[in-house]
Amino acid sequence: MLRRTLITSATLAGIGWTGASFAAPSVGQKAPEFSLPDTSGKAVSLSAFRGKHVVLEWVNPGCPYVRKHYGSANMQGTQKEAAAAGAIWLAINSTEEGSVDYLVPEQLARWTQTQQGATTHTLMDVEGSTGKAYGARTTPHMYIIDPRGMLVYAGGIDSIPSSRVDDIKTAVNYVKQGIRQAVAGQPISAATTRPYGCSIKYKT
Amino acid sequence: MSVSRLLGLLALATAALSWLPAAAQFGAGGAGVGAVVTTEQVRAELVAQAPDGVGPGKTVWVGLQLTHKPEWHTYWKNAGDSGLPTQLQWTLPEGVTAGDIEWPLPKKIPIGTLANYGYENTVLLPVPLTIGPQFQAPLLSDTLTIKLSAAWLVCKTECIPEEGQFTLQVPIRSSTAGHATAFDAAWRSAPTALAPTPDNRLAIDGQTIRLTVHGLPAGWQGRTLAFFPETPEVIATAADWQQSWDGAVWTAQVPLSPQRSNSPALMPVVLALDGQGRRVEMPVLGSWPQASGPAPESTALRAALDARGGSGLAQFGASSGATLGFWAALAGALIGGLILNLMPCVFPILAIKVLGFARHADDRRAHRINGIAYTAGVLVSFVALGAILLALRSAGESLGWGFQLQNPAVVAALALLFTLIGLNLAGVFHFAQVVPASLAGFQPRHPVVDAFFTGVLAVAIASPCTAPFMGASLGLAVALPPLQAIAVFAVLGLGLALPYLVASMVPAVARALPRPGAWMDSLKKFMAFPMFATVAWLVWVLGQQSGIDGAGALLALLVAVAFVAWTLTLAGRGRIVAGGVALAVLLGLAWGVGPYVTEPAAVARQGDNGPWQTWAPGRVDQIVASGRPVFVDFTAAWCVTCQYNKKTTLSDPAVLADIAAKQVVLLRADWTRRDPAITAALQQLGRNGVPVYVLYQAGRAPVLMSEILSVADMRAALSRL
Repeated sequence: MLRRTLITSATLAGIGWTGASFAAPSVGQKAPEFSLPDTSGKAVSLSAFRGKHVVLEWVNPGCPYVRKHYGSANMQGTQKEAAAAGAIWLAINSTEEGSVDYLVPEQLARWTQTQQGATTHTLMDVEGSTGKAYGARTTPHMYIIDPRGMLVYAGGIDSIPSSRVDDIKTAVNYVKQGIRQAVAGQPISAATTRPYGCSIKYKT
Repeated sequence: MSVSRLLGLLALATAALSWLPAAAQFGAGGAGVGAVVTTEQVRAELVAQAPDGVGPGKTVWVGLQLTHKPEWHTYWKNAGDSGLPTQLQWTLPEGVTAGDIEWPLPKKIPIGTLANYGYENTVLLPVPLTIGPQFQAPLLSDTLTIKLSAAWLVCKTECIPEEGQFTLQVPIRSSTAGHATAFDAAWRSAPTALAPTPDNRLAIDGQTIRLTVHGLPAGWQGRTLAFFPETPEVIATAADWQQSWDGAVWTAQVPLSPQRSNSPALMPVVLALDGQGRRVEMPVLGSWPQASGPAPESTALRAALDARGGSGLAQFGASSGATLGFWAALAGALIGGLILNLMPCVFPILAIKVLGFARHADDRRAHRINGIAYTAGVLVSFVALGAILLALRSAGESLGWGFQLQNPAVVAALALLFTLIGLNLAGVFHFAQVVPASLAGFQPRHPVVDAFFTGVLAVAIASPCTAPFMGASLGLAVALPPLQAIAVFAVLGLGLALPYLVASMVPAVARALPRPGAWMDSLKKFMAFPMFATVAWLVWVLGQQSGIDGAGALLALLVAVAFVAWTLTLAGRGRIVAGGVALAVLLGLAWGVGPYVTEPAAVARQGDNGPWQTWAPGRVDQIVASGRPVFVDFTAAWCVTCQYNKKTTLSDPAVLADIAAKQVVLLRADWTRRDPAITAALQQLGRNGVPVYVLYQAGRAPVLMSEILSVADMRAALSRL
């Protein structure tokens, strides 16, 4: 005799949550449009950069993994290479206002300036809606969007998930590799990789 | 001074402790580095459990006990949406090796809209130590010194990477059991393996996986289970999922992550209830949904093939341009088939062929016909084997080249066949005495049929090995459309048969042989010995598969078969009486001990592996991520080339010294019996057979080495690390 009991695992998964990562785009799908204020309050929308490659970097200066890649100038080097290839770089901070890591726009602007990188804009996403739309989970979490507005890369900054700066020189920088291949019109060989770092402190 | 160390000191100075170098702490041992490291978030202690002291064969466990501040956690082997698993690197005296962490059951920890798998409060991560016979107690002390370098990521909502150096002295002659309760709790919490059954499976259905699990504890039925996949970056960790019970069968639907970066062929998962866990290795049915970009593996493959330097071979990695790949595969197959003749595997067949040639030394026409018949036998068997392989693979079996010898029943049958052939050559009996005259007439009078079956035998026994060029061709063939794949198999066969075919067509070859005479009878008897050598090898293979009992049972059966064969040479009533007795003995044995032949050997052989560790899925990534290079030997007992390389290059003192100097971790993936995980790993490398030798290093494409592994190549590859 068949006995069928259906149990939703709501207790395990958190009740009624419609997963951000579940609704997120896969590589090859259209990158969700967004419009966010930059650190000076000016609205910046993704569609303004149609026709160019766009790199999205989820950032939180309080996170040790972000410090790993900024302290070693790895992130700035990647930004400069992207800029040289004609790509736009948008750094997005989805940290909620209540978090100890939260920086007000002026502080974030000052931090960005002292890093001497090559970001086009640094954007505030305190509501977390853009981060959730992309399924961004960690800082750093990296995305590349092609000139047609398609997502072509989603994942980590490089191939060795660790907090050790020494690992950077032996790791494959997936973003540099992805930009190089995307600009050359080649398919990106590692198009989805594992992002690693701190959890993004989303507003709940 | 590294930046991370600087950061650490800075943090120490400001009392917002990021991590504390263990050197600054004084643990129980007191001398510089101790067994305890304390940070703001975690108290970490290296503990041991050695109730009978330390010595070869004794059970010794060590472990890192992490006590978290409330609300802080560290991570399981799959950390979930963020986080990193705790990593342990051991420094141990010679003869002592550490196993893997036996991860206790984790907890699903929701963090806002994300979820992690990890540990809160106190957890002990236990690791078994194997004390080998080489272990010697130090001269001036009676303790075993254990050093551990551990790195863990501890998070609340913020995350802090921490690390610590630990040293612990474990008394050799007295009992260490101070943390027995903690070890007991950790072992109880570690999931136990659920016996694999073909019914347990994971089916891919669009963006969802459907899991079906049989054999869970009866008391679990109808209750809500916790689910932890061991493979990271596959499921949407925080998303809603469904589970249900259908009688004793548990099923679940779990959504995939849209940004999935892993595509395992075998996915181990842990199911848990009330602190008890069961681990199930789920074979994956169906294909993972493709993103538009090719998978990362294909670059690794292309780079690996490029690294081999073969200009034609580099094309094998191209995922587009299937026609080009097809022709390259055909060319590789022909060359590979030819080289196969020079591989140690073909040794027994060489003997048969030499005999075949000698038998017809005076007859050129017979030579030609035999050459063609042999070629036909080889071709038909290659195509048949290839077709079976493709059919089984498309039915969802994960199989690879040489699969027939992964079945102990086939190995046993071949051993029986070769014993009979050997006895026949040695003159113990003639087919005419054994089988009815009508059938007996068939064998010697139809040398064509004979040659054809020699070809079949050649493929059955020789094909399990792969030769250079052949490996890449086979790897590509299984991914081609069926007809093209069959063509690749046929060309491989042609390559194998070609030297004999050519020799049979060239009259000079036959002329070079002496006239038939008494020497032929001696040669024939001599050829019995290669046959018996083959039997010895097959018995050894079966021993690897089914243990000493299986090998013993097979030997008993071989003796009984030989007895039966001999009785049939007797005349008159003796033949009927003795033959009846012999047959009864054979049948009795087959019924009594036959089952041992196919029964899997008990646990994997331990202790005789020296520096080699057992390969497991994900192990390479783990070790490479920890910064050490890894060399993997994909091998099988039935692969003679593998055994040859193992005893020569891989045992070479200079190679071993280089390996030790470069701190290369040696992993051995044993494919003697069927293993879907190894099949999948071979597939990722673009291969479908053994031997395969790969050198992995962080940040570089894996380097595939030649199937005929030379000391020079091996040392050159190691020197580039």
